[in-house]
Amino acid sequence: MSGKKILIVDDDQHLLLGLTARLKANGYGVVSATDAISAIAVARKEAPDLVILDLGLPAGDGFLVLERMRSLADLLATPVIVLSARDPAGNKQRALDAGVLAFFHKPPDNHEFLMAIRQALGETTALSTFLKT
Amino acid sequence: MISEASGRVNASEYLPAVFPALFPNGRKLVDEGSSADLSPRLRADLLNLDAWGEILTTYGRTIGVAVALIDSEGHILGKCRNAQPVWSLFHDAANDWGAACPFCITKGLPCTAVAEALQTGEVVRVRDQAGLTHVAVPLFLGKQHLGAIIAGQVFDRYPDPLPLRRMAREYGVSAQQLWNVARKQRPVSSAVLQASGDLLCALGHAFLQQRYGAILEANLADTNGQFRLLVEETKDYALFTMDQTGRVTSWNVGAERLLGYVEAEIVGQNFSCIFTAEDIHDRVPDKQLKMASQSGRSEDEGWRVRVDQKQFLADVNITALFEDTGPVRGFAIIIQDVTERRKVAIILEQARQERSRLQEKFLSHVSHELRTPLTAIYFFTTNVLDGLLGDLTPEQHEHLAFALDNVKQLKDMVSDLLDITRVETHKLAVEPQYSSPVRLIAEVLSTCRRNAAMKNISLSSDIASRLPFVWADPARVRQILTNLIDNGIKFTPEGGTVSVASRPVAGDKGFLCLSVSDTGCGISPENREKIFDRLAQVKSTAEASRSGLGLGLFIARELVSRHCGQIWVESELGHGSTFCFTLPVFSLAKLCSHVLNAANLEAGFVVLIAVDVVAVEGTVQEDIVPEIRRVLERCIHAGQDVLLPSMSDAGPVDTFFIVACTNPSNFAVIARRISGELQNFDNASRLKPVISSNTLLVAPGQSMEDQISEITAEIERLVRSHLLGTERLK
Repeated sequence: MSGKKILIVDDDQHLLLGLTARLKANGYGVVSATDAISAIAVARKEAPDLVILDLGLPAGDGFLVLERMRSLADLLATPVIVLSARDPAGNKQRALDAGVLAFFHKPPDNHEFLMAIRQALGETTALSTFLKT
Repeated sequence: MISEASGRVNASEYLPAVFPALFPNGRKLVDEGSSADLSPRLRADLLNLDAWGEILTTYGRTIGVAVALIDSEGHILGKCRNAQPVWSLFHDAANDWGAACPFCITKGLPCTAVAEALQTGEVVRVRDQAGLTHVAVPLFLGKQHLGAIIAGQVFDRYPDPLPLRRMAREYGVSAQQLWNVARKQRPVSSAVLQASGDLLCALGHAFLQQRYGAILEANLADTNGQFRLLVEETKDYALFTMDQTGRVTSWNVGAERLLGYVEAEIVGQNFSCIFTAEDIHDRVPDKQLKMASQSGRSEDEGWRVRVDQKQFLADVNITALFEDTGPVRGFAIIIQDVTERRKVAIILEQARQERSRLQEKFLSHVSHELRTPLTAIYFFTTNVLDGLLGDLTPEQHEHLAFALDNVKQLKDMVSDLLDITRVETHKLAVEPQYSSPVRLIAEVLSTCRRNAAMKNISLSSDIASRLPFVWADPARVRQILTNLIDNGIKFTPEGGTVSVASRPVAGDKGFLCLSVSDTGCGISPENREKIFDRLAQVKSTAEASRSGLGLGLFIARELVSRHCGQIWVESELGHGSTFCFTLPVFSLAKLCSHVLNAANLEAGFVVLIAVDVVAVEGTVQEDIVPEIRRVLERCIHAGQDVLLPSMSDAGPVDTFFIVACTNPSNFAVIARRISGELQNFDNASRLKPVISSNTLLVAPGQSMEDQISEITAEIERLVRSHLLGTERLK
């Protein structure tokens, strides 16, 4: 159990509930925000280790949140994974260009999604064996 | 019954000489060799009784015989003219004139004179049992017979009382009365009757020819009249003619209506006055006439000008009019105003585009909106299923597993919807790369296995262990295979088999063919193309009733065609189906063709550069790979070097290969540039590039093709052995 803190930004309450349960079961602390403005506020207050970001949000969209995060020193380096229902065509490249680590189209596969979270948090251990050899 | 032929009468030979007035210029109106059928209407017209009546009556009275017109079936047309007294007596006494011939007073004995005359073309003379004689005169037009004229009902010698008395008894006529009439009827000798027959034949033919000519002329006049009427009365088209210089020579009502000029003011003017100023400046009118003169016609759609200077969009058709074998005599022009039609077409096209845009927007919106609740359902289901909220009974677990299957189905349908909008808007893109079909098939089989097992269907593959690599988008190939296999499972009854196989494409080494066979119900020939259509679902059995949106095969076809491949089905009703599709085989030679050319190979060296990008910690993120590629693209010389596509999956080490047509001393320059650029790109130092190279010597004295195939084979060998080395590291 890493005890690392993840911020989920999504306006769907049910998604928050379901994903939170999954992340907590994997040993992560979870905080959430449901719009673009509170996302920044919560992020500054909670200083999460990772942000899971939806693109379609009230009061601005995910790209706005990304832009704001990159302009704030304390959130500059926080890794971001996008989880969106938007068409990856166009949006995925745009998100990657904005510094996002991974783009998941809803609904994601649990396994792949958790792998990406672990990688983003630098928790993957599969590599250590390789590096030793 | 006695019949005598008078010898062949060839009317067309001597008639012009006998009746020159009927045959101007001595020309035959009907060609002797003509075999064209005469229409029934023309036949009736030629034998029209109104026309024949007077000539027949006059003839009969002059010669003193009865005359009648017979059609080619042997039936009398109209009445018998100048009927003779003896015949009339019998005719009036008989309730039913049952004789085969209208002139023979003989019951039951058929008179074949008319038939004989028509067959031989000669005048045939006949005497019946009462002693009355008649001749049958055939009527021919060219080689076609129309009917005959019969003339006679006269005694050709002094009447014989004995047979007359017998006939009188037979017909119930008073013998005394008959004898009195017969004695008074004037006999005509057979020689005179024969000569009369020949004369009648000549007359008949002459009249027939004249009549034929008259009918043709009347028809022609009729047609001309109708045509003139058509041209003059046509209001929706401008029809006019011009001489060879383009001066208007005639002008119809439609032209007046459409262009505004009245006939009197436009005739004699050059037709260039209906062109726009720019067209006149560009000499368009002359060009069009020239083209029509050369090729017979010219078509154009463009703006033309009315007399009031208003413009309209015209559909113009110019036809050149030629003399028999001479130069162009003039032109005929047809112009139609298509302004409105074009406007409507534009509006329709706009409406179609708008509808297509709305449809796309709607589908894209639906796909997007369905994903949010679907995601929540997915999370909740998997959370409970994975025991995050406590243990489940086996039954609960089973039911939830079904729920999850359905979520996945729904997710695929939503993805299909999105793909459909991409097809419609031409945005369905594939990103081909170097992919192993063996690995893709194995991946898809492992995900489909559960589905197959649930239906007790055996899923197998019969794949050659070393298939060539393909140049394809792996995610899309997985999608195509999944679609086909799922389809196979869906339409195969329990206990059946679905198998994946590969086969070479006959006659084309550039493609690999993969196939998915099932033991299902099969597809009838008429449906084999249809099933690939959008929303097509051929047969809905109870089993297949939940078979998705019917988009799977449509999307598969679109995806295959975007790989430049083909997809088709081989099937027999009741004996299962085999879906086949082709994918392009990866060819290093094709990829490198633009740099492996004579000029570049002159140096005699090709260098294969391998850049191993090692992640200092973790793995090389897949998302970063395209960025590394972009960096490398910047380091090479586009006209001399090629960055090969990704040959392996990203992992702790990702290898990039460059084929460089350069000599070994230049390699150091490229290597330095690469390390420098990658360092700039990765300022956090999470990546470590290791650059190595192999130099290939180009063997001189071979053909270009041999050199290239040798080089690419060697590169492929080197790439494989290098990847094997890094694979061990993973």
